[in-house]
Amino acid sequence: MSAADSTYDVIIVGAGLGGGIAAGVLAEAGQRVLLLERGRDLRYRDIPGDHLRHHRLSLYGDNTTHEPAGHPRVFVDPQGHSRTVFPHEADYHNNALTVGGGARIWGMQAWRFHPDDFRMSSRYGTPAGSSLADWPIAYSDLAPFYERAEHEVGVAGDHTTTDYAPRDRAFPLPPVPATPTGAWLARGAAKLGWNAFTPPLAVNTTPYLGRAACVQCRQCIGFACPTDARNGSHNTLLPRALASGRCTLITRAHVARVLTDASGRAHGVEYFAPTTPDSAQTERRIAHATTIILAGGAIETARLLLLSASPQHPRGLGNHSDHVGRHLQGHYYPVVSGLLPVGFQNPNLGPGVSIATTQFNHGNPGIIGGAMLANDFVKLPIIFWRSHLPPELPRWGSANKKAMRELYLRGIDLRGPVQEIPSPDSRVTLDPHVRDHFGLPVTRLSGTTHPETLRTAEFIRARAEDWLRAAGAERVWSSPMDLRLSASQHQAGTARLAADPRDGVTDPFGRVHGHDNLWITDGSLHVTNGGFNPALTIMALAFRAAAKIAATT
Amino acid sequence: MPLTPPQLEALRALLDRLIPADEFPGALAAGTDQFILQLLIHACAAEAPAIAQSLTHLDAEASERHDQPFAALPTAAQDALISDLEQNRTATPWPATFPAAAFINRLIDLAAEGFYADPANGGNCDGASWRMIGYDPLLPARPSAP
Repeated sequence: MSAADSTYDVIIVGAGLGGGIAAGVLAEAGQRVLLLERGRDLRYRDIPGDHLRHHRLSLYGDNTTHEPAGHPRVFVDPQGHSRTVFPHEADYHNNALTVGGGARIWGMQAWRFHPDDFRMSSRYGTPAGSSLADWPIAYSDLAPFYERAEHEVGVAGDHTTTDYAPRDRAFPLPPVPATPTGAWLARGAAKLGWNAFTPPLAVNTTPYLGRAACVQCRQCIGFACPTDARNGSHNTLLPRALASGRCTLITRAHVARVLTDASGRAHGVEYFAPTTPDSAQTERRIAHATTIILAGGAIETARLLLLSASPQHPRGLGNHSDHVGRHLQGHYYPVVSGLLPVGFQNPNLGPGVSIATTQFNHGNPGIIGGAMLANDFVKLPIIFWRSHLPPELPRWGSANKKAMRELYLRGIDLRGPVQEIPSPDSRVTLDPHVRDHFGLPVTRLSGTTHPETLRTAEFIRARAEDWLRAAGAERVWSSPMDLRLSASQHQAGTARLAADPRDGVTDPFGRVHGHDNLWITDGSLHVTNGGFNPALTIMALAFRAAAKIAATT
Repeated sequence: MPLTPPQLEALRALLDRLIPADEFPGALAAGTDQFILQLLIHACAAEAPAIAQSLTHLDAEASERHDQPFAALPTAAQDALISDLEQNRTATPWPATFPAAAFINRLIDLAAEGFYADPANGGNCDGASWRMIGYDPLLPARPSAP
């Protein structure tokens, strides 16, 4: 099938985790799939190991965005001042721009959400001004698809200790090895009476599905994996889609709008793509399909729904009750740093994340929800300098340099993704003034999370300090957090699932209300984002939606 | 070249105090000055005029206090001046748009970025700072990823 053949069974917008999984499931089910990806199909050598330009520290650019100038966003700060921002800036809320999406460079934590993460409003009520709500599905609806994601993408873990959510099968890969600093944290947890265990990571701890094992390098999160041991859709479901012969992948393809008819049925997309794969010249194209799936991430998917307004849907597709783009959320991350005693000079191998607790995800007195807490990846020296030296230390001179060499291997830190209390005012809209390279209105990001998120974050920060102290850290410190917009790599919530069209954008499977053949398979669907890294939930929802589409079309 | 010879001399003298040589190489031996010059030409070109101007202010400040440019001062006087800049304690006028503290904090950041980042960025030649602190990325000699 050539690119000129512009009629398909399915068009998928975005080749990240959700899009890649949908492509694999549907192509193997016999459907002809067109997969449109805005980024390039970056190889290992195309993603530089630059410590100042990667996805945890992007001071002067990042290592997956090749053409940053043409795709700005507008960010509105809490005081109401707006400014144009570019992908490497924090306020852009970027994710990796490549086939595979964020999973090319992710930290691989592959958590199932807690059963109570699906019923936040039932458990805690809905704080005034928030849009905290239950999901229209339960943990048990998603459990079989979590299991599928764990086995078909590849997750390493210990099922005997990872027991906060019921599971039927062991993980397919043995857990990541313990680390020296993890041993201190294990002793600390035991002292406190907390349950701590090895977190699940989507990494080949042994060879799996035809690819090599992790070599435990110390330049992990934010960079491409040198042995392709980091798992995502790019090295599992997407290759399966392509191997079926029924999936056409077009990179550097920017979708401008979803085309709908008067009845609301989506019949195709309009997009811009290079005239030939490597050309700088682009052309406008139309492709048609029976089913359209959006998987561009919570920010770009919302933007595309808004860009696709039509005379019948003047406020955008799925936006009948004004939920598209609202409830934008990510994760607040309290970070607590400490120093192990003098004489501890035992460096961790990669990835570095080796111990976690779910002790504080729920049931915290007077607090809504909570967070998983875990130790972190091996720290890059420049990140240690910027964020993990004791605050009273001089920032320059002999004292600072001496501290770097005396403290770097004594550093220990904890962090956790706080389940956010969403606000309808934290949102994606279209900017009325700024246009992208193709003349389309860019994303405008505004609002903040709900203040209740801060209370939960402060509670979790205090528990992380408790853990570091109990672990034997001689000095522990952290900073209070501010009210701000939160999205970034864990962006979610902008097309929330809802049984009733008045309460959200998509039905409980991810089909856009009012548009029977328009689906979403990314974090946009999340009603709430769990107190965990959200990637495995994105994958599980994508497996579930794709299975539903395959069974009904 | 975004800097005049006196500005470059001031920059190098400043870096030599921000990350001095001790029993391990300092910023100058590691090439951090070259890293900053490259940034000022490329990624931070928009900042270059303000930083260049501030290096001239730094010399003016040193001259006002000691009748010598910054690079000619004894190290103790250089360190005292840097500490004053951090507090915006100045004897000469600095621009309100880029006060002394903003300048010195920016240079402190730039110096550390160059010195502690990967050697390919140019400010950490031969991984001098990484050896000093005990970091090795342990990347495989031959990546097997596609």
